[in-house]
Parts: sequence; C-alpha cells; structure tokens
Amino acid sequence: MGIPVAMISAIYNLALTTGANRVIRGARIEHVCGDPDLGPEKDFAYGLQIVRTALQALETDVSGPTLFDPDESAPAREAVHAS
Amino acid sequence: MAGPLKVVYFVNQFFGGVGAEEKANIPVEVKKGPIGPARLFQQLLGDGGTVEATIICGDNYFNEQREQALSDVTKAWQEAKPDLVVAGPAFDAGRYGLACGAVCAAAEELGIPAITAMHPENPGVLTYRRQVFIVPTGASPVDLPDVVSQMFQIALKLTSGEEMGPAETEGYLGRGIRKVSERSEPGYKRAVDMLASKLRGEPYHTEVPFEAPEAVPAASLQRDLSQATIALISTGGLIPIGNPDRQVSGNADRYFSYPVDGLESLTGDDWEAFHGGYYNQIASDNPNYILPLSHLRHLESQGVIGRVASQIITLPGVSTPVAKSKHLGAEMARELKDAGVDACILVAT
Repeated sequence: MGIPVAMISAIYNLALTTGANRVIRGARIEHVCGDPDLGPEKDFAYGLQIVRTALQALETDVSGPTLFDPDESAPAREAVHAS
Repeated sequence: MAGPLKVVYFVNQFFGGVGAEEKANIPVEVKKGPIGPARLFQQLLGDGGTVEATIICGDNYFNEQREQALSDVTKAWQEAKPDLVVAGPAFDAGRYGLACGAVCAAAEELGIPAITAMHPENPGVLTYRRQVFIVPTGASPVDLPDVVSQMFQIALKLTSGEEMGPAETEGYLGRGIRKVSERSEPGYKRAVDMLASKLRGEPYHTEVPFEAPEAVPAASLQRDLSQATIALISTGGLIPIGNPDRQVSGNADRYFSYPVDGLESLTGDDWEAFHGGYYNQIASDNPNYILPLSHLRHLESQGVIGRVASQIITLPGVSTPVAKSKHLGAEMARELKDAGVDACILVAT
C-alpha cells in the first residue's frame, strides 16, 4: 500500500502536469506556506489554512492529478515569478 | 580489439534451461561455453570469438540477494577475463531486466564493454538506461534471433574501439547523453522541414523527445486523520544553520532526515534555506514557509492529526534529473514506510 502525498506548490500547474496527484496551491515560491506581508497573526492563519487544505486533500480519494485550493477567503495572491 | 573476442554471457534460470518460476531462487552458476541465447551469439561470432562461459542466475535470487549475486558474477569475470559481457535479452520480464541491467552496469564499472536488450518499458530500462547500452525489444521472445543479432552489431562496435554513434542510428535506447556534433542542415531548416512533414502527415523525428511523466496511482489514507502520523518533506533546501552536513544547493545526490521530536517550530536561528533555484532569504527568516512544522504542530495539539512524524526530510529540489529524483523518492518512501508514516505533506518551492 502506497503512502498518500499532498504536494504544496506555488507553481501548482507544473506539479499537476508532471503527475502529482494531490496538489495544494501555495502562496509564492519564496514563501509557499504563508505570506510575511500579512503580519505574524494573519500569516500564521494563512499557512494553517494551506496545511489544513493539504490534510483535506490527503483524506480525499483522487483518481489523477487534482488541485486543492485553500479557501477563497484567503488573502489575494499574486501570480508567481518563476525563478 | 586484437585476436578473438572473449565473451561471458548472462541469462536467467529460464533462458539458461534450468527451469521456470520454480527455479527462480537458484544462485549464480557458471557453466562453460554458450547456453541458450548465447549459442546464437556464438554463431554470429564465428571464428571471431568465443563465449567462454554462461552465467545463470535465478530471477528471484538475483533481485533478493543482489550484492551476493553481483559479487559471484564479478568473480566469474575475474577468472574468464572477458572482453565483452552480454546479458539477456530480457524482453518484458522485469526481474530479469533489472538483473541484466545490474550485470551490465557492473561490467561497465570494471571497464568491460557490455550489452543487453529488453522491452523499453522494462523496469531495467528505467534504472539502467543511462549507464548501459540496451537494445529495445518487443514484449515476447519471438524475435530472439533478430535481437541477438542487433546486440552483436553493437557489441562489435563497443569492442572495436570505434566511436559509438547516436542511439537513433545505432539502434540502442537513448541514454540521455547529448553530444555536440554537426548536422548537414541548419536547425531552422530542420525545424521547418519537420513542421512541413507533420502538416503533410508524413513521418518525422523530433530532436527533442518529450518524456511523458509517469502516472502514479494515488494512494489513499488508511487511517483516520486524527490517528495518522504525518511526515513533512521539503524540496526547498532546508538545512540546519551553517550547513554542517555540507549539503549542495542543487542536483542533490541524497536527501537528509532530521529529528524534530519536541520541536514546536523551525526558527531562523537554527535553520536556513540553501537552494539554487529561488531567493532564499524569506525562507531563511522563517523556515516554516518551506516546511510548515509550526502549523502542523498546532493541528497536532488540537487533535486534528495523530502526530507529526519524528523525522523531517529535506533536499534542494532543483536541477535534479528525473531518474535521480525517482531514485531519491523511492528511498524516502522506504524510510517513511519503515517509520510507520501514514501520509506526507511535501512542500515544493
């Protein structure tokens, strides 16, 4: 029996096209699980939301690459700059 | 190569005529002269060489006792001193393909030219294609004589000291090596010709083959989340501060595991990011951005998950060839399995 993996990535499209099954949309490449601009409290809450989404993804059965987006009420995220 | 060629051949229990699956556990046996496909090879060699010995090993034995098997095979070479090692063809037999690949890779490491053959989707290809010359075959042994003849042609080239041409003209599976060379037409013309052929529905050959990612079936969580052990992995290049393990910032050959029992959060005093593919300062200031230990601890304390796994796994995921990544991933999976991990969260930068 395999081990389910939830992959958090800001370049989520790449993760999906290369075959990762549970992909969670991260914030930015440089700070995937949060956003320092939000200040400590909101930053932590945002990171928590991303990690909770990853846990939900792990509980969800998927049949192929699937994107899980942290709640829409999360702070707006800019497009990423690949580096 | 001056003088007649000395060849040592490798086959499994089936092609060695010992027996089928019930004999898959036989250890390495060395028989004098050619046996099975080695006889075809001997016919092609004619007076040009001799198959001195045929090494036979059971498929299960080889894969379960790999080190012992390889050491016995190597010992046989020390006695026979072959100029060439031939293994297979393994067709679509996975264990046999892995054995043939391992045998040829071992020969190459000792400086003995080696050739094998198998189906392009044999796991032996995935593991050894970069180290070993492999002739592609169909799935079943019906074309055995043609395959052995193709192996022979390449073997002649390997032992003659002549330069090996590209995979597409020589007929072996590409090893993913690029060499600088001159083509008769410039790139723009070749590209336009290729496009025109494609539009006309004519055959064309790409110069940049696309390797489609392998689809891995999704595993499912076998335990309630509140009982589950969750591991954290980061490809963001998380390292203990000052890089005591001398980790590299890209194309890593290995990953590192670190214990986090009793650790509530990752701080910039103890950890930092070292990764050649993104701006590291933000993650160095707060390493939880690339490995969310503080968040997962919070959820652990609330009983959302059973526990955070004792070890975290990290490496810089940049400039790593797919084959190497696959190997590293398999090792991680083994380690996680042994640690009783139920699921992982992997952060990729």
